[in-house]
Amino acid sequence: MNNIGRVILASCVLLSGAGSVAAASFTGKVTLPDGAPAYGAMLTVFSADHAQRETVYTAADGTYAIVTPYSGTLTLRARLANYADATTSLDASQDAVGTADLQLANFADDQAESDALSASAHNAKLQWQQAGDRRAFVSQCNYCHQIGNSTTRAPRSHELWMATITKMEGYFAMVTRAQKILFASVLEQGFDGKPVIAKHDYGATADLARAKIEEWNVGDSFSFIHDMDVAEDGKFYGTDEGHDKLWILDPATGKVETADLPPSGLPRGGTFSGMHLAIGIFTGSHGPHSMGQTSDGRIWITNSLSSTLMSFDPKTRQFKVYPVPGDALYPHTVRVDRNDVVWFTIVASNQLGRFDPKTEQMTVMRLPHNGFFRWVTDMLFPTLLRISSWFPDKVLLLDFTHARFLGYQVAAFPYGIDINPKDGSVWYAKLYANKIGRVDPQTLEVREYDTPMSGPRRPRFDKDGIFWIPSFDEGGLMRFDPATGTFESYKIPGVAPGEYETPYALNVYRPTGDVWLAPNNSDRIVKFTPATKTFQSYPSPTRVTVLRDFSFTKDGKVCSSQSNLPAYAIEGGVPSYLCIDPTGGERDRAALAAVSTPPAVPR
Amino acid sequence: MTDITNAGGRPAQVRVFSILLVASAIFMALLGWSAGAYYVPAMCLVLLAALLWSGRAGGLFKWVLVVNQVAGLVLVLVLWLGDGLGAHKLDVSGAALLVNLLCGGPLASILGVALLPGLRSGKRLATWFGARAA
Repeated sequence: MNNIGRVILASCVLLSGAGSVAAASFTGKVTLPDGAPAYGAMLTVFSADHAQRETVYTAADGTYAIVTPYSGTLTLRARLANYADATTSLDASQDAVGTADLQLANFADDQAESDALSASAHNAKLQWQQAGDRRAFVSQCNYCHQIGNSTTRAPRSHELWMATITKMEGYFAMVTRAQKILFASVLEQGFDGKPVIAKHDYGATADLARAKIEEWNVGDSFSFIHDMDVAEDGKFYGTDEGHDKLWILDPATGKVETADLPPSGLPRGGTFSGMHLAIGIFTGSHGPHSMGQTSDGRIWITNSLSSTLMSFDPKTRQFKVYPVPGDALYPHTVRVDRNDVVWFTIVASNQLGRFDPKTEQMTVMRLPHNGFFRWVTDMLFPTLLRISSWFPDKVLLLDFTHARFLGYQVAAFPYGIDINPKDGSVWYAKLYANKIGRVDPQTLEVREYDTPMSGPRRPRFDKDGIFWIPSFDEGGLMRFDPATGTFESYKIPGVAPGEYETPYALNVYRPTGDVWLAPNNSDRIVKFTPATKTFQSYPSPTRVTVLRDFSFTKDGKVCSSQSNLPAYAIEGGVPSYLCIDPTGGERDRAALAAVSTPPAVPR
Repeated sequence: MTDITNAGGRPAQVRVFSILLVASAIFMALLGWSAGAYYVPAMCLVLLAALLWSGRAGGLFKWVLVVNQVAGLVLVLVLWLGDGLGAHKLDVSGAALLVNLLCGGPLASILGVALLPGLRSGKRLATWFGARAA
């Protein structure tokens, strides 16, 4: 038995052939160090090979019940914010119900307590004199990963932080020289290696105790699986932007397959070969990024690095490539409208793409420039990137770009996109220009609106045509009603005072209207209920949780990909697909309660 | 045409444009502090200012400005109308941009519009260079 923290295995009774529950299942109680019930604690069961894990949350009395498909030597772990984990290992067969009580422990020392905190606690130590400086830092330094997790908070000298930021510029971070010097100073002073003292409150509720999380490891430590989508066949498809590969998971069996994209003929990094590309992570040239599925079953993939749109037929496993014409740079998020027309943003050249799979006609339209300096960017950026590509990995772009003296706001960056179910109009969010825009699908006429919060990233519509927009730079959620042209804004509550969030994406589960958000700074998923205007946190069982697009299964699970860059920074060292079943824990509890209830004695 | 000169015989036009070229060079150098490529047009602008001030190498001065103008024009036209060049469009625009920067960059292009007419035979700047060469 593995003893990490103080474990009390009150009893472990494995009952073969336990009723209808055909799996290794567990019930028990999780307690605090003083013996009190641990409310909202995560009880995670790891499969024997640790490639999969399932998690439920304890109820107010500390009890849990979990049904898993696993067998063999299984690891059980209890985890709750502000306490040390408790773990144990059990031999279990399928068709067995075991009982395991676990007691959480206090941390051995301040360092252990600090190490267990999410990135949000650590980066709260960064002291910003100006709100604008922090917004720029969040925008550019939290872009692909957390700042403050174990790989990004290591103490460094000012010189080393400058070198780190220079490396990040090679990955496309756009900071001015003055910002670079400031960021390096703030990081040097904030990440001093001393333990952080913070108490996190994820908000245990009855709603939380009803939920269950499933995770499947997919890919390896160098995979960069950007988005994951649930396809009509029920399988999960993930785009490995670094390796030009699809990772395909059948959640019913846990089997993982891969499909390699055909060669692009471009050098490593594609049209971005002149940038600095993370060694080992970016080995390809297509950069598959986002996906949408048409009614014929084909999955449409935006290839960011090769500036192509690609179809993938899940049945035949065949790919077909469609070049995006003109100076298109970095096709980004893709959505399919009700007429099976494919729409996608082209982020780095401030364009929008439209592709009709029936006629195979592609249209690329330029979006409003939003000012002189953004016009300069739109005009010259593709040329500068081409010049850079003549000198691979030298990042010559940085020696030319006016972002070096004006900052990231010299670009508009049309990022997320969605289709209004009410009228079929196409809406996008401009990450750096702080705008959303509507495109008439027939006339392609554009109208833009300023957002009240900055950093609008990957928005979605609900079934009533309300546009929900995450504010990345300000840790908020915006509600926009296209009928009235009005916004409402909400701040996502932190898990402790002074901490901020970096919501990257959201999706609306249309049957309930719930808005699911990826806050990405505090290792949790957040649900916003518009009817009550309340946020519910679902702590992630895996530290360093950075999620991208959300996708729903037919039975209402909320799924996404663990996509921190690099993947080896994620707890366990590999990325995974993750699904929240909002009522899965409740169903497990009911199933195991039925098993434990003695059969009625016939009179 | 009246030749306006200072006490030392240097035309006012030469003095004004030399100052503008130096100011442009300083501005470009400031940009170069953040983005190193801008040092290249800065150095070219300094060279142009020196040539103009001294009245030497008028041919070089003129041709640098002409190449700058042509490269800038090619850049604008290719970005505007160059889709027919296909994959080579950005190669052409990239080369044009580099040549433009090598020859003083966009500020030299703007100043060149005013300077080049004066470099035609018989005009004030041509006379200035000619006089110094003689």
